[in-house]
Amino acid sequence: MKTIAMAWRNLLRQKRRTLITLSALIIGLCGLVVFQGYITSLMRSARDRTIYAGIGHLQVARSPGYFEDGEFNPYAYALKDVDRLLEGLARQSSVLAAFPSTGFTSIAGKGEKSVTLLVKAYPAERMFFAPPQGPVLTPVDKFTLGTLIAGSSLSPGDRDRIVLGETAARILDARPGSVVTLMAVLPDGGLNGRDFTVDAIYKDPGRDKIFAFTDYDTAVGFTGIEGAAVVHVLARDITEVNSIASGLPGDLAVRTWHDLATFWVQANSMFIGFLAVIRAIILLVTLFIMANTMNRIVCERMKEWGTLRAIGMKKRNVLFLVVMEGCLQGIVGAALGILLGFGVSELLNLHGGVPVPFAQGEQRVIVKILLSGQAVWLNLIPAGLFAGAAAFLPGLRAVRLTPSECLRQI
Amino acid sequence: MNAPKQFARLPHERKEICMSLISVRNLQKHYRLEKTDTPALIDVSLDIQAGERVCLMGPSGSGKSTLLNLIGCIDAPSAGSVIVDGEDTGSLGDGRLSDFRNRRMGFIFQSFNLIPVLSVFENIEYPLLLQKVPARERRLRVEELLRKVGLEQYGRRSPENLSGGQRQRVSVARALVARPRLVIADEPTASLDHATGNSIMQLMAEMNESEGATLVFSTHDPSVSRYAKRIIRMMDGRIIEDGSAA
Repeated sequence: MKTIAMAWRNLLRQKRRTLITLSALIIGLCGLVVFQGYITSLMRSARDRTIYAGIGHLQVARSPGYFEDGEFNPYAYALKDVDRLLEGLARQSSVLAAFPSTGFTSIAGKGEKSVTLLVKAYPAERMFFAPPQGPVLTPVDKFTLGTLIAGSSLSPGDRDRIVLGETAARILDARPGSVVTLMAVLPDGGLNGRDFTVDAIYKDPGRDKIFAFTDYDTAVGFTGIEGAAVVHVLARDITEVNSIASGLPGDLAVRTWHDLATFWVQANSMFIGFLAVIRAIILLVTLFIMANTMNRIVCERMKEWGTLRAIGMKKRNVLFLVVMEGCLQGIVGAALGILLGFGVSELLNLHGGVPVPFAQGEQRVIVKILLSGQAVWLNLIPAGLFAGAAAFLPGLRAVRLTPSECLRQI
Repeated sequence: MNAPKQFARLPHERKEICMSLISVRNLQKHYRLEKTDTPALIDVSLDIQAGERVCLMGPSGSGKSTLLNLIGCIDAPSAGSVIVDGEDTGSLGDGRLSDFRNRRMGFIFQSFNLIPVLSVFENIEYPLLLQKVPARERRLRVEELLRKVGLEQYGRRSPENLSGGQRQRVSVARALVARPRLVIADEPTASLDHATGNSIMQLMAEMNESEGATLVFSTHDPSVSRYAKRIIRMMDGRIIEDGSAA
């Protein structure tokens, strides 16, 4: 304990030099903490957008094949006894909402114009389209499927209504109130056609070219399919997903959002790797600076090492003292860097956060930097270890000489 | 007040029947300077009895410090043996040698060599801390020594705020705190003015009497050597005279 106290006091012996040595670590980690907070916040926001854009926290299907081609062939995977499954899910306190969905491929025509559409059908009360003006709080018990650019969203009880994507609407020259005819191939191979009234037109880059939305009951009536293709589950808390999944019957195929949001998972892994590389570079730079400083410190204090060993301190304890001094320097530097990073993050958050440069749609997305405990241990522990490692070789130098050789050094 | 603890002997100690506290035989030490072997000690043999107060005298480069370093086990000889308190120091590994120095020896240096990040109290206490002596016993022993060296008011001070004489008193207290059998002082007055040097030597002589530790010190100042009962004169790495002080 006394050795640690001595290492700490040695650290404060030349405060200016300590501060200069640690400046690389402090500035580097400050930047890293801000960047990490921004990326974490951004990825969390992207994760939630992905989940609420139609995946849900959990999907339950009849067989694993649904997750491969079910979206384009929903008839093949109709779930049996959906109501019982929904009742069972509703009883779980961690489930916020559970609802069925289905879909069909169709050709939509209006006059002489036609487009191919993939129609997704959810209960009307589970579909939400953001208003065009400004950011809004999105509901947590519905899917947010895009931004309305004309008309109003589907209401429960509405039948034979459809929300068209901007591109499809433009091709069909459809507006809210227009009637389009949908032709779909039924499970038995027959064709069915029906007029749908356009309730609204939405925008969602990448999706509005192909996807249209109608309510679940209309889709069931139109296709005549018994049972939903899949059941979506929205959890109260994302951490409860696995416990919900484990409570489901074993004969059903279950996928969590993590299994389904492959792009998000890849992007997140890439950012984590990116941050790790930056952290490694900062720590390596610190290691070299620290090793140089510790080398100087060891040389300057040769007489002290000699004295300590003369009065009975063992070599390993001298080495421990030097390494501990390095560790403490690293920990102090990292702590200051993290604190500064938190301060800068708070300042940025106070000024409204940081805009997302590649935000989709017309809404300007602002991300508030997330301050997490993870940023503390993820930076503090490696910094302490790296700095301790940087002090190891200089420490060996302190114990390589005999006490009398140390005492002879000027 | 409880009596201070009498420290136990090292567990590995093999006490030999030996009259001398220090027995040096055919000791040689060579330093290698730029591919040339420079002899610092040439075939030195001597015995020092327990409780003696011995002064090594001689000009610079005569081998005084080298001999003290070898007796104090802070350097290794090129040849010969050093037996201290019945222990052949050449047979001890570094860890055991550290324990041996800690329990059996005290060191006083020319430039005091106090640890600047420790207070006066902590500097004196440190050898006991290495022995893991309980805190209460450490405090009592340090307070006792602070009184003996006349620094009882200075325990909390940093050594940097003390005069040279006061620092050397702290150094004396540190050397004696573990009740060593042997105290080695290399030019203990060289950094002090004449009066302060004399007061330090007076203190060391008193401590030699009261604590019973054998004192071996070096100097080239004849006025300092008068505090010794035995004077060993050295020249060019050899003992040229060994006799009682006049």
